[in-house]
Amino acid sequence: MLGVVPPRPMLSLDRLGTVIAILIGVALFAAPFATYRATRIASGQSRLLIEALPFTMSAVVAIVALAVAAGAAIVRDPLGRLGSAVIGLAVLLPSLGLSAGYLTPADNTFARVSPSTGFWLLTAAFSILAIDALARMRLGPYGRLAALAVGISAVALLLFSGIWNELSILKEYHTRADTFWREARQHLVLAFGSMAVACLLGIPIGIAGHRFRTLRIAMLQGLGIVQTIPSIALFGLLMAPLGALAASVPLAAALGIKGIGAAPAFIALVLYALLPIVANTIAGLSQVPASVVDAARGMGLSERQRLLEVEMPLALPVILAGIRIVSVQNLGLATVAALIGGGGLGTFVFQGIGQTAIDLVLLGALPTVGLSFVASIVLDALVDIAKGALA
Amino acid sequence: MIEIEHLTKRYGTNTVVEDVSFEVEEGTLTVVVGTSGAGKSTLLRMINRLVEPTSGRVLIDGEDTRRIPEDTLRHRIGYVIQGYGLFPHRNVADNIATVPRLLGWDRKRIAQRVEELLDLFQLDPAEFARKFPHELSGGQQQRVGVARALAARPALLLMDEPFGALDAVIRAKAQDDLLAIQRRLGTTIMLVTHDMNEAFHLGDRIAVMDQARLLQYASPAELLMHPADDFVERLVGTAERPFRLLSLAKVQEAVEPGAAEGEPIAVSDSLHDALSRLMWTGHRALPVADAKGAIIGRVSVDGILEHGRSLP
Repeated sequence: MLGVVPPRPMLSLDRLGTVIAILIGVALFAAPFATYRATRIASGQSRLLIEALPFTMSAVVAIVALAVAAGAAIVRDPLGRLGSAVIGLAVLLPSLGLSAGYLTPADNTFARVSPSTGFWLLTAAFSILAIDALARMRLGPYGRLAALAVGISAVALLLFSGIWNELSILKEYHTRADTFWREARQHLVLAFGSMAVACLLGIPIGIAGHRFRTLRIAMLQGLGIVQTIPSIALFGLLMAPLGALAASVPLAAALGIKGIGAAPAFIALVLYALLPIVANTIAGLSQVPASVVDAARGMGLSERQRLLEVEMPLALPVILAGIRIVSVQNLGLATVAALIGGGGLGTFVFQGIGQTAIDLVLLGALPTVGLSFVASIVLDALVDIAKGALA
Repeated sequence: MIEIEHLTKRYGTNTVVEDVSFEVEEGTLTVVVGTSGAGKSTLLRMINRLVEPTSGRVLIDGEDTRRIPEDTLRHRIGYVIQGYGLFPHRNVADNIATVPRLLGWDRKRIAQRVEELLDLFQLDPAEFARKFPHELSGGQQQRVGVARALAARPALLLMDEPFGALDAVIRAKAQDDLLAIQRRLGTTIMLVTHDMNEAFHLGDRIAVMDQARLLQYASPAELLMHPADDFVERLVGTAERPFRLLSLAKVQEAVEPGAAEGEPIAVSDSLHDALSRLMWTGHRALPVADAKGAIIGRVSVDGILEHGRSLP
């Protein structure tokens, strides 16, 4: 039977596309599109797509969504799939803003409209389709960064055009815009500041660990244990010594170090970040071919020249992969810092939980997810660029 | 001249090189040969102090290597290893420029030297200078490795199994190229191998090592005629002995007066090649031509066999 290829059926269905199509169908007809609340903490009432938008608009959304579903199942050309997903998102995302305006009674400043299951499912379906199409196009690192920039611009356009202003989450934002940016900045300082400190400490420790076996084993085991401590427990563990430090050393207190607040959170994040950075530095250095190091020594490169000119450049992709893990991990963990007064976007999450105001929770959670997503793509691209420079 | 005096290396109770002494003449190619684990790589690495000797010393042109700072010493000694260790993140030109850059040569001089070396190794600079090691074939990588080692015109070149990663056809070519370059530059070379054929093909002198000790240090012919002990005799290969001897002798030594029919043989060929030609073509004798092509006599099967027997 060798060489006999069964004829391809005229209409063959794409597997992932079929799942996406089913998802779109469920989202359109069996799930509410939006939730209406009389006040921000009142329990919500579900609105189907047909109820959430004027008839013509809901018909447009439904027809476009069905067309995307059909396209996902049938079209195999990645550019076509990407195009249909983008059109789907371009219709769906603004329609949510229109829905908010349509559902909110005139002059009612208390009523709240938020996206519901159907909207989220449609967004997820279109996004998966777009991401899958981008993956099939096998974009290089620069292509992926460009695609990311387009995506960020589109979201920024939606946010700043005012089309979503009637949505509950943006109302939550507008009542606390100053706090939002302050906490967002604090979140970035916590996540990336601790990452920078962890790099400054972890890379030299990793280099030393690569050279000395006993140090390597001790460091990796010690940091491995730190990784297993739950974040809240670690904050708690740091409170007592830092509190004592602040009480006994005036300089420490003057620098803002105390048992609660940003200091223990920052230190905990540094500790969590150390393991991936140290471990990846060691792994990166140890995968440098022995013959390359031997040749470098034999040609008379000093220890420093060997490290800076040969070993570090060759270890860079692996070290960057460690930094990528840390950036995503820290952006998530920094949320928990709010619990001990460390600030950050977690502040809104915990306030929202306290007030049972889901949209306030989302105001903290969605930017965190977005930041992690962006950080992950950017660092992934950097890893590829570093590898390409070595290739 | 390199003088190796009582070099010894021990790791704990394990002796890797034991009391090895010999001298290498300027401009010659010395091959250190032996089974794996004999200590030949360690011996080589003690010369550029990649391994510090437990005792004994090495003199280069009378200067004790321990008095020279390690890195300075290595800048002066070329070093080629099996697998070459080319820097994967640097292109061919930058790889070759490694030691000149460490020595602070100016840009123009480096560029000139790189081009010169690429030409010497038959690698077109326009095509190869910007290529990265992974874009090269094994033979090209080997040539870049040797070019890099020669970049700063070292008086001494150390080579550890430099042809080990090459297939048989490319290896023979690479060996001939190395000989030609060595003759041309007059570089002193010390080369480690486990391949006896390679040792006989390349070595002006051969040092035979086994179990950390130097068994014999002699010219190839001496090694064949007077092996120091059974181990050397077995390593040399008793059955191969007459043929190896013929490989070492030139047609020059067996020219006899008279004429013969057929394609002439060059006077600089080895007797091994001449005998091979005679057997293959079925001639009892063939004319011999000198470098200019003039016939200066003939060489015969009987003459070669006679000559083989009469070798000391």
